[in-house]
Amino acid sequence: MPILSTVLWLPIVAALVLGFFPRQAAGAIKGFGFAASLITFLLSLGIVSGFKEGVAGYQLVELAPWIPQWGISYSLGVDGISLWLVMLTTLLTPVVLLSSWNAIHKYPKEYVISFLVMEAAMIGVFLATDLVLFYIFFELTLIPMYLVIGVWGGKNRIYAAIKFFIFTVTGSLLMLLGIIYIGFQYMHATGRPSFAIADLYGVGVTPYAQTLLFFAFSLAFAIKVPLFPLHTWLPDAHVEAPTGGSIILAGVTLKMGTYGFLRLVLPYFPDASIEYAPLFIALSVIGIVYGALVAWVQPDMKKLVAYSSVSHLGFCVLGIFAMNQASIEGSILQMVNHGLSTGALFLLVGVLYERRHTRMLADYGGIAHTMPLYTTFFVIAMLSSVGLPGLNGFVGEFLILSGSFQTAPIATTIASTGVILAAIYLLWLVQRVFFGPITLEENRKIPEIAWNEVAALVPLIILMVWIGVHPNTFLRKMSPSVKQLLAVVKSEDRGKVMFANARPGANSTHAEKGGAR
Amino acid sequence: MIQPLLEAGWLSAILPEIILSAGGMLLILLTAFSPRSRGITGPLAVIIFIATTWAENLVGEGVYFGGTYEISAITRVFDLTFLLAGILAALFAREYLEREGIEGGEFYALLLWGTVGMMMMAKGLDLLIVVLGLEILSVCIFVLLGYHRRLPVSNEASLKYFLMGAFATGFILYGTALFYGASRSTNITEMAKYFATADASNPLLTVAFILLMSGFGFKLALAPFHPWAPDVYQGAPTPVAGWLSVAPKAATLIVLARLLYAMAPVMAKTHWVTMLATLSVLSMIIGNSVAIVQRDLKRMLAYSGIAHVGYMMIAMLTISDESIAAIAVYTIVYALMNIGAFGVVSMLAKNQNDPQTLDDIAGLGFRRPFYGLGLAVCMFSLSGLPPTGGFISKFYVFRTAIESGHTGVALIGILTSIISVYYYLRVVYYLYMKEAPDGTAVPIGGVFATGALAISVIGILIIGIFPTPLFNMAGNAARQFLQH
Repeated sequence: MPILSTVLWLPIVAALVLGFFPRQAAGAIKGFGFAASLITFLLSLGIVSGFKEGVAGYQLVELAPWIPQWGISYSLGVDGISLWLVMLTTLLTPVVLLSSWNAIHKYPKEYVISFLVMEAAMIGVFLATDLVLFYIFFELTLIPMYLVIGVWGGKNRIYAAIKFFIFTVTGSLLMLLGIIYIGFQYMHATGRPSFAIADLYGVGVTPYAQTLLFFAFSLAFAIKVPLFPLHTWLPDAHVEAPTGGSIILAGVTLKMGTYGFLRLVLPYFPDASIEYAPLFIALSVIGIVYGALVAWVQPDMKKLVAYSSVSHLGFCVLGIFAMNQASIEGSILQMVNHGLSTGALFLLVGVLYERRHTRMLADYGGIAHTMPLYTTFFVIAMLSSVGLPGLNGFVGEFLILSGSFQTAPIATTIASTGVILAAIYLLWLVQRVFFGPITLEENRKIPEIAWNEVAALVPLIILMVWIGVHPNTFLRKMSPSVKQLLAVVKSEDRGKVMFANARPGANSTHAEKGGAR
Repeated sequence: MIQPLLEAGWLSAILPEIILSAGGMLLILLTAFSPRSRGITGPLAVIIFIATTWAENLVGEGVYFGGTYEISAITRVFDLTFLLAGILAALFAREYLEREGIEGGEFYALLLWGTVGMMMMAKGLDLLIVVLGLEILSVCIFVLLGYHRRLPVSNEASLKYFLMGAFATGFILYGTALFYGASRSTNITEMAKYFATADASNPLLTVAFILLMSGFGFKLALAPFHPWAPDVYQGAPTPVAGWLSVAPKAATLIVLARLLYAMAPVMAKTHWVTMLATLSVLSMIIGNSVAIVQRDLKRMLAYSGIAHVGYMMIAMLTISDESIAAIAVYTIVYALMNIGAFGVVSMLAKNQNDPQTLDDIAGLGFRRPFYGLGLAVCMFSLSGLPPTGGFISKFYVFRTAIESGHTGVALIGILTSIISVYYYLRVVYYLYMKEAPDGTAVPIGGVFATGALAISVIGILIIGIFPTPLFNMAGNAARQFLQH
């Protein structure tokens, strides 16, 4: 059985089946959706067990021609970079469906369908090994997320949903033009159409074109991450989205941006990436500090967590553009960490919001007395986000910072203040919400966290500890792929790999370029 | 040697046209002699369309009527587009006309005859045949637009299209006459021979080209020849507007492709390509930016149509087999998504003299899930998002643009489609995120309209996910087309 296709298409099939459920059967709809996503997760464990360590390239590859005229194929594969992101996606979807079991009263059928379609699209982004296929899944995630924010969101949801959509689509449409251009260049050079991601590595384009393409792709991913100053859609989208939407948005879709940098931008445009790395490092450091400072002054818990995402994702981008083994491995691990810890934080904020219908810090205080179990979960998730040694956040941030320090010491020094600031604003949040005396009467009897929410949180907590204590389980599967990626980026004669079968005419320009260097 | 005027097999060559013409007469006679059978004229028209589709397989390829009428793989592809548009329009019209109390065989007869006109345009190798087809089509459109004869807006639409259309035809005829003066022929094959050696600096040719492009630009609703489109679409009976926004454009595009291909040697030496590129860029910019402020759905779709013709023109800048295939694919997808979108609008039960605004579809996605979903799919496809046919066809067009070196135009296309996302998305916003005010009428659609919408939605998704068969068909046809 082709495991990748099964994992990819199962949620879609489940969504189609759900389409025929009667609208009133809310319990059956939620149950079916949760079961489908849980089975998807269990099946995706087969990807981990089938994944061979020490192999750098794509594994479990599936390949079928799709649009042969243009060299577009339906090709899937998984490597060390994408493996844990796929797992994160399949894990978070059942978590979301379970945790929102009682939170969604309006149109439960459409809600579950949206999340299942989104899950498939996100898995597709990470599994696709064809550029056009990647793009299609990348765009496909927009539609369900737009609906989730716009239909089930808060007061200002329409503004947030449209802003989210327009921002993202702006970047990705420019990338589409870049994709077509690269594919055309490849066909021009080799006489054979192909959009396979690996085929297009090192396609020889003029330095000028490379710079333009680099920015076309980077814009798409920088908006998605989001990198300062393109982050303005994120707080809006996060605050207005329902809890489940926030979890998926922060947990997975932001990672599509960082993943895109790793998978496409660095290997496709190595020269431009190295040239403009200082720019991206600077922007990510600004994002780290700025996000942390803004988070500090937020009166709204959800907004606080949203801005902390800007800060944390800044670390990921810093690690990517520092371009060494430790920093990139740390970056990938940090993507997973952020998915777990911020996902858990959004979930927990949502739990509290369900009960009290406010997210303002000022409306709480001392609820550790009324909700002790809830408080325990929150503190663990918070500490993981802060980067306490022994939990996952520490490993990722440490790897990023120690790796980046070798290439960008000043930027890294500034960035490390982000860690301290994170401790400040998150501890402050916990102090104001959970500890101290109970000031408001309403806070005396808030119902304790429910079984389904606990069940959704436990796997996240387990993974936080696991990654914190034994990160090697995760790191050793990704290192060969990262090593290979760095080899592609840094090799001096990468052009030769590509142009082994190129026509002489196309080769000459590249040779000149090599000579000039 | 004088060629015989009627080659062997001419009768079977025009079998589709004969079936359509005879079918139209049958429908009119049926309504005249048996007024009670009005109800079955719609289904009968659909059957006639389907019979014609089947008849397309019987037609032998070749050139008939003294080298003026070509039947080849590409004309078959375009015939199928016209027939598809006709079938969808007839299906959507069936319940619309019944609801409005204006059902009659004439309506469908005009659709059938209009299709004949378009087929003549697509197959004509002689500009006079093309003009003849164009006139048959135009006359049908004049009447169809005014078919809702008690409504002032419908009459207004008809009159507007008639006056402007008459001018456009005049321009086309004048351009044809000037080309005839230069090349001593109205036959496109003969003209191609002349263009191969023509003196490109001859101002006569440029004047003729401009005249011709003005006329065709009108038919295509290309900016700056577009201002009629929003008014006419708004006033027209909605299924007619959908059909009008697609089928005549497809017919005009294939004529234009023939002409531009014949003119290629001259175009290489003149600035005509720049003119075409300007028209394309203007259409994309004007269409997409004005559509943003439209609250009337039909006007919005009209401006979106202007923008889409702009995209199609990108492929026409350099005629190659790829670009003709791209146009063929684009028009088929456009037929599905645009007629589908107009179809949903046609189901809105309200006074047809009033504008049909975004408010009328508020909450439709949950009140009538299938219609909501159908309109949403059409909108996503129109905005070019995967996995719809709209994405595939836009991809195709931009690909031809990059291959032929028109990267700048493609870039403008991309930038304007970012704008377009906003107003297409706004429709989805109204469908799913806006509560319907109390008392909003639920759209009425019977089995015919629902079936037509299902065809649209399934077609859009199938082409979006499995485009290869369509690409093969269009690609092979386009290669044959350019070989002779």
